[in-house]
Amino acid sequence: MEFVIEHLSKRFGDKEVLQDIDFSFESGKIYGLLGRNGAGKTTLFNCLNRDIRFDSGDFYFMQGQQREKVSAQDMGYVLSTPTVPEFLTGREFLKFFLDIHRERLTDIRPLDDYMELVQMEPEDRDKLMKDYSHGMKNKMQMLVNIISQPKLLLLDEPLTSLDVVVAEEMKQLLRSQKAGRVVIFSTHILDLALDLCDEIVLLSHGILERVEKSDLDDDGLKKKILSALREEGHE
Amino acid sequence: MNKTLRLSFALKNTYRVNSILYALKQVPLLKRLLPDRLYQVRGFKIFANVLSVLWEIVGTFLGKLCYFLVMVALPSSVFDGMAANALFLHILFFLSLVGGLLNATLFDPSKDQYYAIILLRMNAKEYTLVNFFYQMGKTWLGFALFGMIFGSIAGLALWQCLLIPFFIVGLKITAAALELRIIQWTGNLLFPVSAGNWKLFVTLLLLGLAYGLPWLGTALAPQVVCYLMAVPVLTGILSLRELLHFDQYRSVHQQVQTQQLSALQQTKTIAQKQSQRQISNDTSISSGKSGMEFLNELFIKRHRKILWRPALRIAGICAAVVAALLVAIQAVPDAGRDIVELLMKKFPFFILLLYFINRGTGFTTALFMNCDHCLLTYSFYKQPRWLLRLFRIRLLEIIKINLLPALVIGLGLDLLLFAAGSAGEPLHYLVMPVSILCMSVFFSVHYLTLYYLLQPYNIGTEMKSATYQICVSVTYVVCYMLSFNLEIPALVFCGSAIAFCLLYAAVACGLVYLFSPKTFRLRT
Repeated sequence: MEFVIEHLSKRFGDKEVLQDIDFSFESGKIYGLLGRNGAGKTTLFNCLNRDIRFDSGDFYFMQGQQREKVSAQDMGYVLSTPTVPEFLTGREFLKFFLDIHRERLTDIRPLDDYMELVQMEPEDRDKLMKDYSHGMKNKMQMLVNIISQPKLLLLDEPLTSLDVVVAEEMKQLLRSQKAGRVVIFSTHILDLALDLCDEIVLLSHGILERVEKSDLDDDGLKKKILSALREEGHE
Repeated sequence: MNKTLRLSFALKNTYRVNSILYALKQVPLLKRLLPDRLYQVRGFKIFANVLSVLWEIVGTFLGKLCYFLVMVALPSSVFDGMAANALFLHILFFLSLVGGLLNATLFDPSKDQYYAIILLRMNAKEYTLVNFFYQMGKTWLGFALFGMIFGSIAGLALWQCLLIPFFIVGLKITAAALELRIIQWTGNLLFPVSAGNWKLFVTLLLLGLAYGLPWLGTALAPQVVCYLMAVPVLTGILSLRELLHFDQYRSVHQQVQTQQLSALQQTKTIAQKQSQRQISNDTSISSGKSGMEFLNELFIKRHRKILWRPALRIAGICAAVVAALLVAIQAVPDAGRDIVELLMKKFPFFILLLYFINRGTGFTTALFMNCDHCLLTYSFYKQPRWLLRLFRIRLLEIIKINLLPALVIGLGLDLLLFAAGSAGEPLHYLVMPVSILCMSVFFSVHYLTLYYLLQPYNIGTEMKSATYQICVSVTYVVCYMLSFNLEIPALVFCGSAIAFCLLYAAVACGLVYLFSPKTFRLRT
């Protein structure tokens, strides 16, 4: 399966943030989306999640030769600041989420199995989420996005401000869940992108550009990425 | 000094001009017509500059006019049997103490001071003094003009009128110098940004002296007030030296700006904690339902304190009023007839009553702050199927909450009609309560529809829709005008109200079904 973006454009007034983007992402890979501040990474995500209207273009899945529309349930979007309904307990949120997705989910497991997946401690599972730490909220947000089995998972700097242990757990979780879906991971941390992602994509001048690894080692790749991003800053 | 004066004016003016242009950009419809390059268009800049200059003039004179009119002249006219000049001077003196002590202009934590001193690193001393003396000039002019006009009307001698502007300016300079001295001694401001309670206490005390003493039939003698007013004039002149020699302006500005910043952050944290506190910690709360019904039931149960408790309270108050009126009907012979007559004539007043007691805005605010704010970031939540299902559930919920007091009022009306012996029009017994219930349903539908069609908040829980605010204000104005200006027979009004409410509910729900899947989003 491929996720294809075709001629996607978005303009804010006179500024063309996304310029006729054409790109295709393969499933089973984590794509690291890099770009300078204001390059339009969040705008791209918001367009894909249909939170804001885009001016022109389209995006869809390609299953072999078959073109499929992207529906809301195909999409998972994890924000850097975790947003969970704080009046529910972790278990209740999970139950609610499974209720909503029951028709399309196969092999629904007991709630505790899912909690295990993100290593949520048993004593925390029945606490109201208003009493959760930032990391615990983040785990819940990531969990429900993974359970819904989206074909496309957008992650907007989700590991920023997590402690090292939770960040490592989340990285492991993402690696284990990438099969069969496209994961696009936006981050400002170059080392994290190189460590976690299979492909690096730059958003510069409003277009997406794949960074060819060729035979470069991590240092060489880093230099290449930085020089490409610097070029944009000087224009 | 001249350069600083010029620069600070230019900066303040730019800030104000841009604020005006920004405000224009927030006006619905107008914002579509205005170009994105608004801030670069010369014509708009000139227009905003003219407004800015007008604002400066208005600020100098209109504010003082209102002050003299509302705070001094009007209250003076209320207290009978006291000499007008004595009252005028007494009130003005104590009110000026409030303004002099609390309305600090030297270290004002305003944005333009922040830009000038902290960001642009202008000479803090020059900037502060130039702005302070400019403010003093404006104050002197405003108080000289209106002090003369209102003082003469109150029967003050010319020299007493002339004393007023010098007293006010002297007082402000003295307060400023006193503040500088306190900073040198303690390292703190006289009233730091966080000293809200102290400010309130001093204000109330001085307001009490200004209006309380005349209310008790006494006021300071004009001669005494004049002597007291002369003191700040002298201390003000002596204080000038302090202002000119103080050399820590920059560090104090930094301190003030930091305090302001931390106060703003605190407010944000308090708001966040407040919304968390609204959630019940009762662990026995549960729900046997599933899906959206499950979500809604837990939301309502865990927010009972802010959703149902006020409705119960209002219903209780309404029941008490009805009971009191029933007692009055039994006790006073003509009360029943008068009450029925009033009801028949002024029935449209119930629009305003129901407007005030409906919980629409409280309900939708709680929905957003504690639920939709986070769930709207999930794509499934925005699917028309779930969105409209939840709308239906919520509509029933808000109708139930608002119906409780409406039901008490409706039944109360029937009881009152019955107790007053108004058996002439049996239709009243049916139509009046039904119209009350319909109006209650109208407000429930109205606020939930506005919320779903105009969803006014962004992810930072800030209100971002001017259209929503305008709609809410227009609702109030229309309710107010109908309540006081509609003079039609009660039966006609009730019939029309029932028809309108039903029609409105049908149209509003139709609009929500058609448009909310597109409009019920987080604002960016």
